Amino acid sequence: MQNDSLRSVAHVGGHPIHPMLVPFPIACFFGAFVTDLAYWWTDSTQWETFSVWLLSAGMVIAGFAVIAGLIDFIGNKHIRALRPAWFHVLGNAIALILSLINAFVHSRDGYTAVIPTGLILSTLVVLILMFTAWSGWSMVYRHGVGASV
Amino acid sequence: MRLSPLTFLCAAIATLGLAGCSEVGGDVGGDPARQIGANPYLPEPREYLLPPMHIAPAIGWSKGETPSVPQGMQVHALATGLEHPRFVYVLPNGDVLVVEANAPKAPINRPKDIIMGWVQNYAGTHAKGGNRITLLRDIGADGIARTRTVFLDHLNSPFGVALVGHDFYVANTDALIRFPYEDGQTSITAPGTKLTDLPGGPIDHHWTKSLTASSDGTKLYVGVGSNSNIMENGLVAEYERAAIWEVDRATGAHRIFASGTRNPTGLQFEPQTGKLWAIANERDEIGPDLVPDYLTSVRDGGFYGWPYSYYGQHLDPRVKPQRPDLVASAIVPDYALSSHVAPLGFAFYGGTNLPGSYRGGAFVGEHGSWDRNPLNGYKVVFVPFSDGRPSGPAQDVVTGFLDSENRARGRPVGVAVDASGALLIADDLGDTVWRVTATAS
Repeated sequence: MQNDSLRSVAHVGGHPIHPMLVPFPIACFFGAFVTDLAYWWTDSTQWETFSVWLLSAGMVIAGFAVIAGLIDFIGNKHIRALRPAWFHVLGNAIALILSLINAFVHSRDGYTAVIPTGLILSTLVVLILMFTAWSGWSMVYRHGVGASV
Repeated sequence: MRLSPLTFLCAAIATLGLAGCSEVGGDVGGDPARQIGANPYLPEPREYLLPPMHIAPAIGWSKGETPSVPQGMQVHALATGLEHPRFVYVLPNGDVLVVEANAPKAPINRPKDIIMGWVQNYAGTHAKGGNRITLLRDIGADGIARTRTVFLDHLNSPFGVALVGHDFYVANTDALIRFPYEDGQTSITAPGTKLTDLPGGPIDHHWTKSLTASSDGTKLYVGVGSNSNIMENGLVAEYERAAIWEVDRATGAHRIFASGTRNPTGLQFEPQTGKLWAIANERDEIGPDLVPDYLTSVRDGGFYGWPYSYYGQHLDPRVKPQRPDLVASAIVPDYALSSHVAPLGFAFYGGTNLPGSYRGGAFVGEHGSWDRNPLNGYKVVFVPFSDGRPSGPAQDVVTGFLDSENRARGRPVGVAVDASGALLIADDLGDTVWRVTATAS
């Protein structure tokens, strides 16, 4: 039985959808950070190609995660009342905007697709995601959002 | 965590400001006249989130519409309804050959390739190519060729052709093929023999292979384009590309005659000096006025910069690792045509049909820009020559390929001079070959 006041609105049979989807963009954006470092180290353009596909895939799946998360955030005032929820929403919004800009940067040709702006943006996004992941976990494991009692 | 959301938001906006350091592609190109000739103005390279783009929507020619030519000249359609004509070649008996082809299917390597595919579709450049050569003969009073046959079919994205003796050579995108030709033939059915492979797929970014023969007929020269914009597909993909090959006609063996020419889409021997000249398409995405395409004499063993530098020692910031040794030897091209005009054909004029001021100079077919605002090219220009070298600014000769609202009715590609001294122009958007003559006095 879910804690009724902090129940997830977007769920499948009691399983909240947002936390199901959210690991994929996190893995993709972290992956893009790693492949950017690999490009910086090797000058081999294969790594830049990996980065731009990871960024694109991350953003597409993040789109679905955002929809599920916003349904929860907007649909349940008790979730909105939590401070970590606001950090989570705003931080992820900024991370996605930076990733969109990063996708355009990575669509350039050659060295300047990554160095320096692409790598800086990838690093910033990873740092922001660590912060928003912390607040996301806080929402579930401290406050019980979407968790059954 | 005791951080207030407001403080957090302020820090976030500062971060965004950092990210907005690049241009979003609003750059406007300057006067192309500053970039024509031996010393083009070259601005600093810029990086973009979205490079400057301006696509002329493809609308085609309405009935009766033609391009415009100067006073004293007239233009008629020699043939219409062709399948993406790119190159025109005149046989010794006066027959006109039209090579109809388009690019082989390009692989998707990055998400950008998907977007570029949509852009090219909108610009009308993805039409199906005929993969064949049409022969035209017997020009009627209305200027239209009355005899029209399929000269060669089932080719593979052909572009350049050349006849040497009774050997007719076709430069497919992936091979140089020899066919037997007898004077007066309107169609070749004999199978071809491959003389040599040429760099083709799987990427084949620049697919056209320009072709010309040496005057003594022993060598063939092939212009091979690069497999990327600036080597972003890696060094291995560029093996023997961005170069002009010299192929031995007897054995098929080849050597690199000149290199560092990003996409040499036309090769001709200058009649007075006998030197090989080429047109080349330079790189994109560092600005609306970078890098000017050019017309240049080709030095045996010469290196022209690509990808490491352009116009001599101007380094491209996107290419790493650099090659300072090659950059130091890079030759400055002879004559800039201004940026992104996309020269795809040129011919020296030695005829007597057109006004005498055109004798000895070169007509250049400028396909037109997609990555520049305002548009550049979309016309046939004339570069005067004197003593075998360019001697003045390029003049517009055939215009009107863009309408008053900058929509594309046609786009010139290859140019050639026919037996009567008329100028022939292949138009791959209008699917027409135009013929320019002097008006009867």
